Amino acid sequence: MGVVSSIGLGRGAFWQSLVEGRSGTSTISSFDATRLGRTLAAEVQGFVVSDHLTAVETRRAGRCAAFALAAARMAVRDAGLSDSALRSERASVVLGTTMGEADICGMLDARWILEGPDAMSPRVLPKAAPYLVSMETAQGLGCRGTVLTLPAACAAGNYAIGYAADLIRAGRADVVITGAAEMLQELQFAGFVRLGAVAPERCQPFDLDRQGLIVGEGAGVMVLESEEHAVRRGATALAEVGGYGLACDGFHITRPEPSGAGVIHALREAIRRSGLTADEVDFINAHGTGTKANDAVESTAVRAVFGDRRVPISSIKSIIGHCMGAASAIEAVSCVETINSGIYPPTLGYSTVDPECDVAVVANTAGRGRSDVVVNHSLAFGGYDAVVLFAKPDRLPSPEARGDLS
Amino acid sequence: MRPLAITGLGVCSPLGIGWEAFREGLSAPPGGAFTTTPTSFTAAPHPGLRVAEINNFDPKPIVGDKGLRNNDRLTRLLLVAARLGLEHAGVKRDGAFTALGPTEVGVCASTAYGSLEAIHELDSVARLEDPRYLNPARFPNTVINASIGYVSIWEELRALNATVTNGPTGALDAFDAASLWIGAGRAKAVLTGGAEAMSEGLWQAFRRLGALDEQPEGWAPGGPVSRGLRLGEGACLSVVEDLAAAKGRGAKVYAEVVGYGAAFEPAEADKPMVHVSAAALSRAVRSALEGLDRSAVAMVVSGLSGLAVTDGPERAALAESLGGVGVRAPKAWCGETLGAGGAFGVAAAIDWLADERAGACAVVTSVGFYGNASALVIRRPE
Repeated sequence: MGVVSSIGLGRGAFWQSLVEGRSGTSTISSFDATRLGRTLAAEVQGFVVSDHLTAVETRRAGRCAAFALAAARMAVRDAGLSDSALRSERASVVLGTTMGEADICGMLDARWILEGPDAMSPRVLPKAAPYLVSMETAQGLGCRGTVLTLPAACAAGNYAIGYAADLIRAGRADVVITGAAEMLQELQFAGFVRLGAVAPERCQPFDLDRQGLIVGEGAGVMVLESEEHAVRRGATALAEVGGYGLACDGFHITRPEPSGAGVIHALREAIRRSGLTADEVDFINAHGTGTKANDAVESTAVRAVFGDRRVPISSIKSIIGHCMGAASAIEAVSCVETINSGIYPPTLGYSTVDPECDVAVVANTAGRGRSDVVVNHSLAFGGYDAVVLFAKPDRLPSPEARGDLS
Repeated sequence: MRPLAITGLGVCSPLGIGWEAFREGLSAPPGGAFTTTPTSFTAAPHPGLRVAEINNFDPKPIVGDKGLRNNDRLTRLLLVAARLGLEHAGVKRDGAFTALGPTEVGVCASTAYGSLEAIHELDSVARLEDPRYLNPARFPNTVINASIGYVSIWEELRALNATVTNGPTGALDAFDAASLWIGAGRAKAVLTGGAEAMSEGLWQAFRRLGALDEQPEGWAPGGPVSRGLRLGEGACLSVVEDLAAAKGRGAKVYAEVVGYGAAFEPAEADKPMVHVSAAALSRAVRSALEGLDRSAVAMVVSGLSGLAVTDGPERAALAESLGGVGVRAPKAWCGETLGAGGAFGVAAAIDWLADERAGACAVVTSVGFYGNASALVIRRPE
């Protein structure tokens, strides 16, 4: 697994900061947000592109693709995957994003608006495509199978990981580089502010006094392999991807549907398609944006699926911000770390119980407990609901036993 | 791939709105849909301006006018295509479900660039006025998956909603994703295909890239000379279902989707990322035809757009993998519609296969700008 985040580069640094609850929030340095009345974000600082990309890639890639490729290279190293396994027709890349190269798009637009259309440079235009996150990653790693970008807004990571698992289960790939990347950008930040979604100081998921989200950025990438491929090369699996559930609210473009029917369906499907029951889920990585609407609906869904059993739940958005398209991918890395360590990362800023969010929040300091089965929630623009279940290796029933439901 | 039935087509195209209007447009000589005076944007007069747009596009006769105020052009194109597709498939009539139900129908569609119109509109407010004046009701339009998300909202489709972005191959890739998801029991029917909206930003970008044909006469994708593309727009959404299930509910099957392949070839080291790979398309075609009878291929419905850097490798790959099979170019009628291109290719293939006796299959192809390529095999129903 590989991570680019506001709290560290690489899975080790990232996880250490998460467990210690070190917030990645700081004053935005990439643009002046003063006029918007919100100046904080979980920005990736100290990321030196040339530390991760070749000179040619460094000149070519936008910030979002650079995040993706850097995280992918970390993941490949972490997996000990050989070049020959990557440079194969059986190696695919499936990544998510919300906006892709938003800064390049914004810069081109600014030139057009201020100086006219002829100021848009033909050298820069080819760098603006949103699907370059996957193309640059495939190019950099040499993968030759399916290359696809799924822009599923803030559920993009879960969509990509689920689809990557589908490709492997369908026998279409042995290895899929999957996850998501996103970058902080001025227009999109301003949009979130104008929606009234951005907190003034901190993100406090599930707290009665929560005031919204903190925008973040980064990338989370994992190497998914077929069991056969992993065994053949002697790799040690960190976790298994179980089932995943998708639903669409069909209700409102930004607001979640109040009954939580879509999230409930996605969560139940993730569990059912893993051949498990709700009683077997040990920990929930929440979408937990810290907005009034999201956290209440998500809590309703958790109560509907788990009943009175108080499954520990945490939102690391209180630490790394809401990394939009990359959120559920970075959080998937956190889920796998939980499976491997038995540690639940904390939800910062939690002090007052909200009766509408009656869930077992891992408040302010990391917790410990059983962690064989973990679910990763995401709710997104467009009414997207996506939940992926991760499990300790060999914890899931065999595909034969569960009737190949996933 | 798991065979799919196409049980309805929703077409919102420069050739006409609706399946029959599209077919009628295809039966006329190509070129009629191109205009030098678009109504979708206002640009300073330019002698090379020629686009295939839906002139004076008005979604209201199809979807009504309630709730459209904050939707952009891309969303409106999609809403029209979705409504027409669902009605054509017998899934809905007058806005109400007549077969299947809200939790059984999903959406999986492609757009290459989302709503450049919305991004430019909001950027203009932020740059020329103040970012504090951004209209929050318009902001969601800047997010790539918003327009396809609106389809589920308007049509109450709750099974799943997915957006694919992969440049010109995206719509073919969306068909494959729909097949995987239907096969996994995530939906019984999926509206799939793609959409791209005409905007000044799109046109200016391709103009600045030097990719456009700007001559008044003689443009003919698929012909011997490739001197540039002409942009088009539209939305084309097919209703796809499991073949046996579609027959089981008595649906009319317009075509079967029986094969898919995709491949990527990295650019050579230190060469530009922008490259079109014949090798990738050859592999994609081979993969799409795996297990199928190659002699049943009556035609290739290509992505040939008139742009030499993409047409050259595509022609080379088709000669190598399907030499001797006739190659058609629907972009001569609709223009380069990017994220919708493969979807219009599928629709054209269905129309052309209806009268074709040389074989029952068409291979629909598309090449991307960065080394990717995809192919989809369509079969005329028995």
